[in-house]
Amino acid sequence: MTPLLATDPAAAFGQFVLIGLVSGLLYALIALGYTMVYGIVELINFAHGDLFMLGCMLCLQVCLAVGALSEADAGTGPAVLAIAIMLLVAPVFCAALNLAVDRAVYKPLRTAPKLAPLVSAIGVSFIFMNIGLFWRGPTDISFPKLLLGETNLIEGSGMGFTTKDLMVVLVTIPTMIGLTLFVRYTSLGKAMRATAQNPTAAQLMGINVDRVIAATFAIGGALAGVASVVYGLYFNSVNYQMGFQNGLYAFTAAVLGGIGNIPGAVLGGVVIGLIKALGGAYIGAEWSEALIFGILIVILLFRPNGLLGARTREKV
Amino acid sequence: MDRRRFLSVAASVSAGSVVVGSVVIGCGGCGGSNNGSSNVIRIISSLPRTGSAEGQTTTIVNGIQMAIDDYGREIAGMKIEYSDWDDATAAAGKWEAQAEASNAKKAVADDDVMVFIGPYNSGAAKVSMPILNEGGLLQISPAATWPGLTKKQPGDTSGEPEVYRPSNRVTFCRVCPTDDIQGPLSAEFAKDELKAKRVYILDDKELYGAGIAGLFEAHCRKIGVEVLGRQGIVPTQQSFSEIAERVAALKPDLVYYGGTTQTAAGRLIKDLRTAKLTCPVMVPDGCYEKAFLESASAQDLANVYATIGGTDPKLLKGAGAEFVKKYKEKYHKNPEAYAVYGYEAGKVFLEAVKKVGKKDREAILKACLATKDFTAGAVGKWSFDADGDTTLQQLTISKIEGGDFIPKKTMEKKPGA
Amino acid sequence: MIPRLPHWQSVVYALFVILFVALPFVQDKRVSLYVQQLTPLFIFALLAIGLNVVVGYTGLLHLGIAAFFGIGAYTAGILSVQAFPFQQSLPVVLVAAVLASAGLGVATTAPTLRLRGDYLALVTMGFGLIITFVIRNLESITDGTRGLNPVTPTLLPGLADPDLRAARLAPGWGRYWYDYPYFYFFCLGLLVVTNLFLRNLEQSRLGRAWVALREDELAAACMGLNPAKLKLSAIALGAGIAGLAGALFAIAQQTTGGPDSYDFNRSMIALCCVILGGLGNRPGVILGVFILIGYDMVLTPELDNWIQKQQINPGGKQYLKVSGWRLFIFGAALIVMMRFRPEGLLPGARMKHELHPDEDPQENLAASGNA
Repeated sequence: MTPLLATDPAAAFGQFVLIGLVSGLLYALIALGYTMVYGIVELINFAHGDLFMLGCMLCLQVCLAVGALSEADAGTGPAVLAIAIMLLVAPVFCAALNLAVDRAVYKPLRTAPKLAPLVSAIGVSFIFMNIGLFWRGPTDISFPKLLLGETNLIEGSGMGFTTKDLMVVLVTIPTMIGLTLFVRYTSLGKAMRATAQNPTAAQLMGINVDRVIAATFAIGGALAGVASVVYGLYFNSVNYQMGFQNGLYAFTAAVLGGIGNIPGAVLGGVVIGLIKALGGAYIGAEWSEALIFGILIVILLFRPNGLLGARTREKV
Repeated sequence: MDRRRFLSVAASVSAGSVVVGSVVIGCGGCGGSNNGSSNVIRIISSLPRTGSAEGQTTTIVNGIQMAIDDYGREIAGMKIEYSDWDDATAAAGKWEAQAEASNAKKAVADDDVMVFIGPYNSGAAKVSMPILNEGGLLQISPAATWPGLTKKQPGDTSGEPEVYRPSNRVTFCRVCPTDDIQGPLSAEFAKDELKAKRVYILDDKELYGAGIAGLFEAHCRKIGVEVLGRQGIVPTQQSFSEIAERVAALKPDLVYYGGTTQTAAGRLIKDLRTAKLTCPVMVPDGCYEKAFLESASAQDLANVYATIGGTDPKLLKGAGAEFVKKYKEKYHKNPEAYAVYGYEAGKVFLEAVKKVGKKDREAILKACLATKDFTAGAVGKWSFDADGDTTLQQLTISKIEGGDFIPKKTMEKKPGA
Repeated sequence: MIPRLPHWQSVVYALFVILFVALPFVQDKRVSLYVQQLTPLFIFALLAIGLNVVVGYTGLLHLGIAAFFGIGAYTAGILSVQAFPFQQSLPVVLVAAVLASAGLGVATTAPTLRLRGDYLALVTMGFGLIITFVIRNLESITDGTRGLNPVTPTLLPGLADPDLRAARLAPGWGRYWYDYPYFYFFCLGLLVVTNLFLRNLEQSRLGRAWVALREDELAAACMGLNPAKLKLSAIALGAGIAGLAGALFAIAQQTTGGPDSYDFNRSMIALCCVILGGLGNRPGVILGVFILIGYDMVLTPELDNWIQKQQINPGGKQYLKVSGWRLFIFGAALIVMMRFRPEGLLPGARMKHELHPDEDPQENLAASGNA
């Protein structure tokens, strides 16, 4: 093994923690879509990662349409316009697509055994991937760097935390806080929680369960859309298989935190980001994924409902 | 009722398979002149046509098509048929051993098939070579560059290359220069031209990528360039930030990545640049394609050097320049680096058929492997050596400038080096 | 009426088996070309019925069956390639592959049994992914992404492989036992034997206990069944069959391939075959394999060759090729199946009763009316 950072071990550790936190927040944003849908309809929505991928493709298309093509355009009119359009269009597109898929595919299976919607979700995921493949071809595509100057905000500490990193934090954390408040305090949020607890009882109480489920899919999709904008601007690279990998991390994050639990998904995302960054740095990048799943299994062995999951007895 | 439904399903399935089967079988004949298959020579290519290598393989297929067109799709009184088979599956997005094995078996079993052009990946070659060798079918690869396929590598214990030759003779040849030219010459270039004293090596851990990275590393040590470290990556990962940070902290003069566009070269370089590493990056011919230029931004790809065995299409002269011109006319775009090897593979086979003048696998195989001082193709004059390798031992090193590969230097392997 | 049912089915199975046995004897090169491609289908059918033991009989959603497939393949590889000193024969290789997979299946599942359904599914998926990374990273044993080859164990211990060219009865017959059609017969035979074994097992005490467990774990436990033991035995059997399939897979293509041959996609597609055909019902599962994998591996290349011959697609456009639509067609097939026939094409009687409880009595009446 090569020596680690020769300069300052503490700063290096800090740097990896920062990398882990920032990418973890992105995973969390995608994980929220999994966890919300699971909480309400008990469906592992395998297609969610690919929905996110299609969002990224759309963002790229927006850049090309507006004419914001490279880092030279950063900060200019087209770039600002492109980011604005992306932030508007991608969440709407993903929400609408998720909603449409729910209507067409999952809704008729609401009363079917659990395996049926799960398998359908795998099918939707395949179809989305095929669309992505036709859309932008099989290889990596560079996503224009539209964010102004990668200034290091903590210069002198030996670590790097750029404006780009800050952007991720500034988008993801308010989104999550907003979502938590929404679920806790609005009437729709309350209806969601009620439906998650017991759909039949919720229906008996006059809650329109169908509407609640539709809203859940729409919100989950919109979050994937937001994540796709942030991801595109942050990682500057898209490909049709990105949905699988990121979806897998996000899904694992959701389960790790306790599936169905919103703060749990965020915690899970951050934990996975940290494991990946620190494991990749100190143990070897080729083992980081094995490590993620290894730790997931170990945690589940001791806390079978995830880190923040409530202990529920299986219904009899 | 169970029985009824079962029978109806079973009946429909068997009827379906009969229909499919007859379509398939009927079609097998429909290309040729009725059942007289004697008048047809079939060329098979087995390349990853689905998934991320598709861009480069399309250009190879175009090259093969052009070679066939040169003869008016007829040779020695026989019609030339060409089937472009896929050794990738959509589910995997890249070549799969099972698809490659099945292609090889199908090719051996079809009496009309006189040559198997492919595969694209060295790993796939390991699968199809023993099958084709045993079947006695000529195999020409336009792109598999792992040297161990044809020559014993120092320190190898896996029995290469004899394990690929169960019938104890050579049936595999390749028209592209191998990595034992590319790896060492890249190291020389890094030392002499880029003045690199300390290098860091990354690879994708695949046969091709890790192989070439190993050859680069070995030669660096030999010529006194310090190797700071070597790390394998997992190409399916979407971000390599932590690796990039580690590499950047070592402040190398040069980073070498043994891998392809399909194994995340673009994303990796982008992450290296994000980690504020501005030193030159070198990549092998698996990245010498247009898709690589699109996989990262122009800013990230500044100061990136890519190598290609033989010559860049832009530098080709004479017949080569003619080929490039015709390619552009026909397909309305510039040929990628491997197009010329597709063309070369087609040409060397068809010239062998012309010499033999009849449909005889054994004779064509012998004639093709005996090719000496071949000039009918586009890359210049070359021969096959006893192991089926081309004697063309050139390497072109290009720098990426303005969204294109700009050839900087063409190197020859020093005799005895 | 009931005793006659297996009778009819047996006749149909026997007809299929006779058809498959007869095919290699057809004196036509073109036929042998396509019959050859059935060997991997038999192997994947074994994998799918192994998965079916776990998912179909006991209802444990396992998303990592490819890991056992891989363990079987690599066990076969390690025991037969030249790079290692073992050089074992076929019987040893197969038994070792089965035992290694089954053992690993038990060892990895035992600690996770108390997890609920979806969590267990995730753990199995994680386990499958870990195995691919282990294969990838332990280069000194597995040769990394390159795969071990050539995987050609000797047929019998201590004997050189017989040259079978003299036994050639039809065009296309190979030279060694691992060539077509000998290996084809071997895989077909193993598939039939495994099927008969499972058929008897389904009727046995253990088979009925598994179904009881799937239907209602709590009730089954109350009746004195030991759920943990039952689940572990199902995993052991399923993983063992998958390991057997893996070893055959490695021998069929003479290489273990790389870790990518045993990734999540493989597990997913095996699961799709099981579900498409009919969860819990062996004939259905085999039908599912023939349709899905047959479509992917046999029909798609043929259709593409045909399209190419017609010169419809001179520019090589991805969406003008059948192979470009593979994922789409897979996905659409799954969705349509789940929507209109969630019990699969050939459902088991019990599964159908569960999914269409209201249709059943009438159909029974109709069936008895016909009989």
